[in-house]
Amino acid sequence: MSGAYFPPAPDHVPPERIVDFDFFAVPPGLEDPLEIWRELLRRDVPHIFYTPRNGGHWVFLDYADVVEGYRNHALFSTYQTPIPPLDPFPVVQPQGVDPPEHNVFRRLLAPLFTPIAIRALGDELRSRAQKLIEPLAARGSCDFITDYAEKLPTGMFLHLMDFEEERLPEFLALSNTFFRSTDPEERGRNLEEIFAVLNAHLSAKREKPWDDLASAIACGTDKAGNPLPWGDILNCGFLLFVAGLDTVTNTMGYIWRYLAATPEARAYFRRYADDRAMLQSGIEELLRINAVSNLFRRCQSDFVYKGVQFRRNDRVVLPNNIANRDASIFERPDEIKLDRAVNTHVTFGVGPHRCVGSHLAKHEIMISLIEWFARIPDFELAPRTGDVGAFGGSVMGFRTLPLRWTV
Amino acid sequence: MRVAVNLAVCQGHARCEDICPEVFGTDAVEGKCVILTEDVPEALRDKALLAIRNCPEGALRKLGDK
Repeated sequence: MSGAYFPPAPDHVPPERIVDFDFFAVPPGLEDPLEIWRELLRRDVPHIFYTPRNGGHWVFLDYADVVEGYRNHALFSTYQTPIPPLDPFPVVQPQGVDPPEHNVFRRLLAPLFTPIAIRALGDELRSRAQKLIEPLAARGSCDFITDYAEKLPTGMFLHLMDFEEERLPEFLALSNTFFRSTDPEERGRNLEEIFAVLNAHLSAKREKPWDDLASAIACGTDKAGNPLPWGDILNCGFLLFVAGLDTVTNTMGYIWRYLAATPEARAYFRRYADDRAMLQSGIEELLRINAVSNLFRRCQSDFVYKGVQFRRNDRVVLPNNIANRDASIFERPDEIKLDRAVNTHVTFGVGPHRCVGSHLAKHEIMISLIEWFARIPDFELAPRTGDVGAFGGSVMGFRTLPLRWTV
Repeated sequence: MRVAVNLAVCQGHARCEDICPEVFGTDAVEGKCVILTEDVPEALRDKALLAIRNCPEGALRKLGDK
């Protein structure tokens, strides 16, 4: 956390590359935590810099370097990257393992998350979205985060993993503590609880498999047909739990916040409700501008990259949102153009660890937009009573988004 | 016009399929790009070129281009 004490940087970091920056610290009153990145750009800092905050780490701000961080796993590893360092931390499968080993679990997950597999989930997703939106539509107001954005992806996770639907509140609570708690004791307990839930469920699935995601992991084998280590299977379940819930929730929070404040954007989604291509380009642009994730990498060895000395085990933060606003790649990057023709954003990462759930995430957002606008064609931000609860860290967002509309 | 994919580079973003599903599909195992038509009809040329420009991995090209 920021404070008067400014920790020293290691010797290999030249003073001109040291910046005091804490991506967990959201100044009081700031409603949009992504602003702390944009404020950084306004300070005109080096685009590869080091901050001693949160255990000390590098930050890449240019698109080309963020892409290099994703693709060049010989330099930038995904193994053991938590910031601030957290020990012990599970080696999440396959996200926390470098190629080619990451392919053992990637191979199990990939067929279940292809565009073909996700399209087959369309009816399930649509009916879930409708069930959530219909009662809200009649009410004339809601808190978009707690009434919708948390419930849809978490409910879908329960469906894919074949957990009982009644366990939704339990999973919401586990997920909220995991992402927001800063109390080490509570974090430790929370991690134990998550693993206990996964262990019980995946054990049952290994005994009695069905055609669901949990069974696919629990009964996973390597290419020779040998069962995979149980610890890795649990860690893969853990990845699905942490990667697919909070990210979609907060991305949707940002998207609906923007829509509520922007009549032309609402008109766009009403106008193109039946036009798949226009819907998709609109969603890609909203994903570009509202990228909420900051990914971490760890240096594999001592090396010089772009004239900068890095040391083995140095951490690097890759802020997708800033890469997505690089003027050398995106025309008028800060302008939101829903019909932007060329949009190679890195919101889902690039390279071998491209977000395996990206097609599910996009489908959840698309179906939510269609079903929402069909029932709530116009809406606006409602006055808030308390703080917006903005938070930084690996996933940025806010805890509340009150909306209202005429019934 | 003909198009090609480098499957060693493709990571299954499926942006090509989103933009020009007449020419680009995805497989059911890895979700990687599948070229659906050997020859891209003239009417789909611009759409196919736009799909190529939108690949975040640079895994697609028009044949004859380097």
